[in-house]
Formats: sequence, C-alpha cells, structure tokens
Amino acid sequence: MHSHEYSFELRNDLSELETLSQHLNKFGEGTSLSEASITDVNICLDELFTNIISYGFKDNLEHITQFHLHLNDNELTVIIEDEGVAFNPLKKKDPDIPADLKDVKIGGLGIHIVRKLMDDIHYERKDGKNKLTLKKMV
Amino acid sequence: MEIDHRVENEILIFAIKGRLDAATSPVAEETIKKTMAENTSRLLFDLSALEYLSSGGLRVILSAAKEIRNREGKVALAALAPYVYEIFEVSGFTAMIPIKNTVEEALQDLAS
Repeated sequence: MHSHEYSFELRNDLSELETLSQHLNKFGEGTSLSEASITDVNICLDELFTNIISYGFKDNLEHITQFHLHLNDNELTVIIEDEGVAFNPLKKKDPDIPADLKDVKIGGLGIHIVRKLMDDIHYERKDGKNKLTLKKMV
Repeated sequence: MEIDHRVENEILIFAIKGRLDAATSPVAEETIKKTMAENTSRLLFDLSALEYLSSGGLRVILSAAKEIRNREGKVALAALAPYVYEIFEVSGFTAMIPIKNTVEEALQDLAS
C-alpha cells in the first residue's frame, strides 16, 4: 500500500492562489499522480479557498486556512479547515446551465465545478471551524 | 496574467496568457470592457498561452461572450489546453460557444 501525506497553510489573500498551485505541484512530484489529476484538485481547492477568503471573514485581519492531503493507493482525501463564519458550500444550489449563452447567469459556477471533479464532499462545523473533506479516486 | 488584443478583419482578438483566477480576473475584465467597442460584434479569445483557469476567469470570458451574443454577434474560443477545455466542459459551455483547435480556424469561422 502506498501512502503519501502533505500539509500546508494559506493566508486569506487572493495572491495565495498561486502558492496553492505551487504546493499541489510539489505534492504531485512526490506521487505518481498525473498532471491532469493534480490540476483537477488544484481547481477544486482554488474554488473553495476563493469562497472562504471572499465570504468567510468579517474583519480585515489575517486568517489561516489549513490544507491536508492524503493519498492512499488511488484514493485522494483532502481536508480544508478554516476559522471563517459557518459556511456549507454544499448548500449552495447548483446553477441551471441553460442551452443558450443569452440565458446564462454568471455565478455559482465554482461549487458546480467542484461537484463535477470530486467524487465525494462532506462538510462539518467543528470547534468553531469549517471542515470540508473531499475525496477523489485518482 | 497578461492580456493583449488586436483586430483582424473586424474581429477583436484577446490573447490571455498565464493564470486567469480570482486574483487576476478583475484586471482581465477591466481590459476587456475598456477594449470592446460599442459596435464590436465578432470576438475571439486566443487561449493558447492560458495555463490555468478557474471559475473567476471563466466568468470574465462568459460575460464578454454573452454581451456579444446579446448584440447578435459571433464569439469563438481557440487553442485551449486540455484542462482549460475541461473547465468549459464541466460547466456546460462547450455546447454554447464554438471552440476551435487553432486561431486560424476560429478566424475563418468568425469571418463566415
């Protein structure tokens, strides 16, 4: 059985999205994961982290979001923990994708992408933190 | 992220390079809004050098495409990397906007 773990933290600043990509590439280098899988995970974490820093904090202080990745054979688990206001992204309704561009409402696409690219998502509020657990077969 | 534009045969072409995410998309959006003339009716996004796209960036491209479509104009995307294509695909937009393998093909399509 092959197991690989990797953890990192990001500050609540959009410039950290690039740091997120760097961490995932570093994680990927230590595993046999394909570039496509790493990119899928990167985009999902990007969408969720962007939500956290956009809506999670009512003050202007620095806040840390923690990421923990665990690859167990071909099952990847990612845990994201933030200290922002209680927010369950799964409660957001998926946007209806209409057939014509004219009718498209531009919004809510992030969580839709996460749902499509991940196999399982679980939310819990614990010890004053939001904890999201994502699973993907890779 | 870098965004350049040029006009060829009355087609406005935006070439976006690098990372288009929530951090960089406001700059791209501003540039696109400023550059698109009131009478622009043909628009092409050259995405050959786009390395990364998240929903923040997708929104910028879609709202420009939607604006052109509302004017009864034509829009196309060209030269998408596989994972950029994937984002359009999982969001359901590959059926709504013509996607061409090369800029030349897209220009031909828009000129017709």
